[in-house]
Amino acid sequence: MDRNDTYFEGCGKEGPINCIFLAEFHPVAGPKITCQVPDDYISKDTFEAVSVYIIPKAQLQRCTLTITAFDLKILGYPIKIDNKKYKRNAFYFNLCFVFDAWSRTVHYEPLVKKLSEYLTGMEVETGFLSQQDEASNQQDPSNRLRLINMLNIVLQDLNKQRMCTLSEGSMTTHLKVVRVCHDPTPVLDHHVPIFVEPLDFFQTEQWDLTTQQVLPFIDGINHVAKIAVEADVEANLVKACLQNLEYYGVVRMIPIFQYSNVYVPTSKLHRLTINKRLQDDCLRIVARSGRQIPSIRDVFRLYSNMAHGTTVRDLCIRFDPVALRVDEKRLVQFGVLEGLIRRVHKYPVMLSDDGSSTSLQHFTGLSSLDEICCSTGISKKQIEDQVEKDPNVIFLWK
Amino acid sequence: MEANPISVFFVKSDSKGDRLLFRYPYVSDSRTEQNQQNRKKNPYALSVAEDLLLSPPPQSFNIEKGQLIGFTDEVLSTLFAVKQELCDNKFELKVNDVRFVGHPTLLQTSNRSKFNPDSKQSNPSILLIHIVFALQAVASHSIVKCYYDLSKRLGVALRHEERRCGYVTQEMKTMIAAHDEVAAREEENEGKTNEENISPFDLILEQCSLARDLKSAYDDLCSNGLVKLRINRWIELSFCLTQKVNQSLTQKVYKGFMIEPEAIECLENLRPYHGLLLLVDQNLLLASFPPDASPALTRLVSMYSPLKNLQTLSADADLTLAQVFNLAGHLVYWGNAMIIYPICESNIYTLSADAPTHVNSPLVEKFSEHFVGECLLQMMSEFSLPVSIRQKSSPLNPAQYETQLAHIIVWMLQHRLLTQLHTYVYFMPSEKGLGPAANSHQLQETPSATVVTRREGSLQSTPDENGLMPHVASESDLSSIVSDDLSGLTPQSQMNNWLNETVWRDDYLTDFTEEEKSAILKIPASSNPEDLKLLVHLIQQGYFQGQHHLEEIMYLENVRRSQLLQLLDKFRDVLVTCETEDPALSIFYSHPYA
Repeated sequence: MDRNDTYFEGCGKEGPINCIFLAEFHPVAGPKITCQVPDDYISKDTFEAVSVYIIPKAQLQRCTLTITAFDLKILGYPIKIDNKKYKRNAFYFNLCFVFDAWSRTVHYEPLVKKLSEYLTGMEVETGFLSQQDEASNQQDPSNRLRLINMLNIVLQDLNKQRMCTLSEGSMTTHLKVVRVCHDPTPVLDHHVPIFVEPLDFFQTEQWDLTTQQVLPFIDGINHVAKIAVEADVEANLVKACLQNLEYYGVVRMIPIFQYSNVYVPTSKLHRLTINKRLQDDCLRIVARSGRQIPSIRDVFRLYSNMAHGTTVRDLCIRFDPVALRVDEKRLVQFGVLEGLIRRVHKYPVMLSDDGSSTSLQHFTGLSSLDEICCSTGISKKQIEDQVEKDPNVIFLWK
Repeated sequence: MEANPISVFFVKSDSKGDRLLFRYPYVSDSRTEQNQQNRKKNPYALSVAEDLLLSPPPQSFNIEKGQLIGFTDEVLSTLFAVKQELCDNKFELKVNDVRFVGHPTLLQTSNRSKFNPDSKQSNPSILLIHIVFALQAVASHSIVKCYYDLSKRLGVALRHEERRCGYVTQEMKTMIAAHDEVAAREEENEGKTNEENISPFDLILEQCSLARDLKSAYDDLCSNGLVKLRINRWIELSFCLTQKVNQSLTQKVYKGFMIEPEAIECLENLRPYHGLLLLVDQNLLLASFPPDASPALTRLVSMYSPLKNLQTLSADADLTLAQVFNLAGHLVYWGNAMIIYPICESNIYTLSADAPTHVNSPLVEKFSEHFVGECLLQMMSEFSLPVSIRQKSSPLNPAQYETQLAHIIVWMLQHRLLTQLHTYVYFMPSEKGLGPAANSHQLQETPSATVVTRREGSLQSTPDENGLMPHVASESDLSSIVSDDLSGLTPQSQMNNWLNETVWRDDYLTDFTEEEKSAILKIPASSNPEDLKLLVHLIQQGYFQGQHHLEEIMYLENVRRSQLLQLLDKFRDVLVTCETEDPALSIFYSHPYA
């Protein structure tokens, strides 16, 4: 790896499309590049070395194929059109995007597929692709020019605006690069959704009706089950909506806020002391009122005094956040969202199973106290009392 | 599991064409394909005559129930028999949701005429062999790189064996013969009921050692990620899928918890005060070393103790520190060890955030087998609140209790159930946050601004000194008590003491701004020169910016813990402490919250 440090294979960055080419199986010459923009990006030798992956066997038609070779990544979607009018009774072609080898390309796959299918449509209707050669041989080079023009538009628009609209004759298609994210974790009843960005950053109208019904109840305090009741939407629908919102990075899930919660600082807390922007954000958000900004030392002291065994209530008694001009709820929210602190959950665990009580079935160590409270509707206090009485059940904090 | 291989293939390509000689695991592909054909025909589907886009339903997945589907051996062999230009380079092909990785290796078939002169084939021919692993497409880049490396190593080993004794040619002949035999048998059986449909791969597995090696590699990769082969009973090949190795012990099911090899290769944050914790039994580990293992490694492991830090280990094993660091990295890479802070009485442990708390977790049973009469969950609840060995021990406990406890802690650390908490110190004299040392840290970003403030500070210090004097004088009683110690250090007379004090104070605090100075001087302990000196020294060394935990400061500055704790207590108004885990060791834990 003697290349630039920032660009290496596996860096996870997205690179631009370097080249788009159309390859076809010529009845006489075999696999060849019909047309590419920019010209001569893929040399003849390179193409020949990888042609078996560009025009593959029949079994691999309509598969997204990505081959990495010669520091290039070639992404294609081979297509075969059966028709008696072709010389070999079939027309094989493949529209390929070329990237640097370090670039991530998964998000271009649906795009290549869509564009290929668009071209297939054109080919079936007018023979747009198969007549490239003949047209250039004869007096009318318009087909070829049109294709080059089209590929140029795709290349430039996708690299610049990450979307592109093509219309040729009666057919129009829209292409858009959509980033691929990990699936968000399942949303549970006791989770609390919170907006990551201010509400006015996105238009409410763009979401579906159920989401619109749910949105007003997301305030960083209500948990999912409560939102479901208040919005009068079925709980599973709410979860699906929230999961969708989480996927698009609009909301995040945090644990429910209670004064009996325990939080501990993570090693990321250090960032708060050196990152000026984080400091400013933090102070702005945790302030009780916009006019009185708390001092960073007080905020930091509050965070760093969170420890195992110290509940938020203890912290409030010891430091009096009102006097420090700090809103403890927002303090915790900000800390959790930025990863400066993390919640220490409490897990009731039953040591030996004698099946004496029904509510004990939840004490398997898999569900935290929040979860149990939420699903059974029993208050935290009640469960704690019950555990206190039973020597068989212990609490684990983690 | 994205680190698991789906399949392994062995393909050859020579003058007689390309052929897939072996694959593992092999299933009768035809059956699954038939099923697919059946599934496609939905009796209720409307058949649209001109719907060309939909006529062959595109297949967008090739993995079903962890097995590769939809590729015949012929297709695969044409894909893997790469052109000469691509040889001896990384081969990476992604088809739908499968990623094929390999290293096509060119080798010259050995010139056998030397050994048996009656052989007709005397001129060597070029042969391409390719061992390909099929992975899930989502596998991370580092996993792909590891598999590529394995394929390359296999290729190199085979190339050597071919040159040495024509091993590959021989194995290939057996494989081709097996394929032909089965094909011939099938032809014979045609028309009859095929009650005994034997796969050629069964036969190959019986006859070829290379096929068996590939199978065992595949099985090992799936089970624990450690591959140890002896190709042709000659070439030793060992390989470790780091992402996988560390999972087998902890039995964690968290998705995405893997230790990346890159993270281990750059154990940048390793310090001499860190210690090793072996994850396997010391004697078992020693026994598992190959005969040609480095003697340094053997020495290190035999000297090992979780109580020693790397520096002590290097002294005990008579190795340089750099060597010990490398060996430690090696042990971590192979999943034999992890890095900890050496176990001692004052270490504070707590339950790690990813510890499995399930009642029926397999660790519970494992623990009770190991420590008779102890219950893991009970033990875990004792560590629910951070606790040190010292706090847990009391004179009432039986004598062997502490050693037992240490063993339990070692076990729990090995299984990543415990995390150690360290105390970090931040010097925050003013409301603005970190003190002068932090400013100098920011110096790189805005050099001019901070330099000016510094200078301003030192200029102002002269006039303000007078203002400070009464404050100092009020504490002179206290300082006079201290001055006995001082007299030993400075040869000045008691008379000059008062003057003297302002001098040393000023001396120590010249680099501080006025605000910081006054904040420090407000604290009664600042009148003690020893304390102030230590504080100023530690601040100036940059230890109080939250990047050094107490143990590190102790190690680097050669101070005692009690000394530091007293200092923290005395100057608690300007020092903020915070307990977190050591970020240098965080690679050993998954962070579900992050």
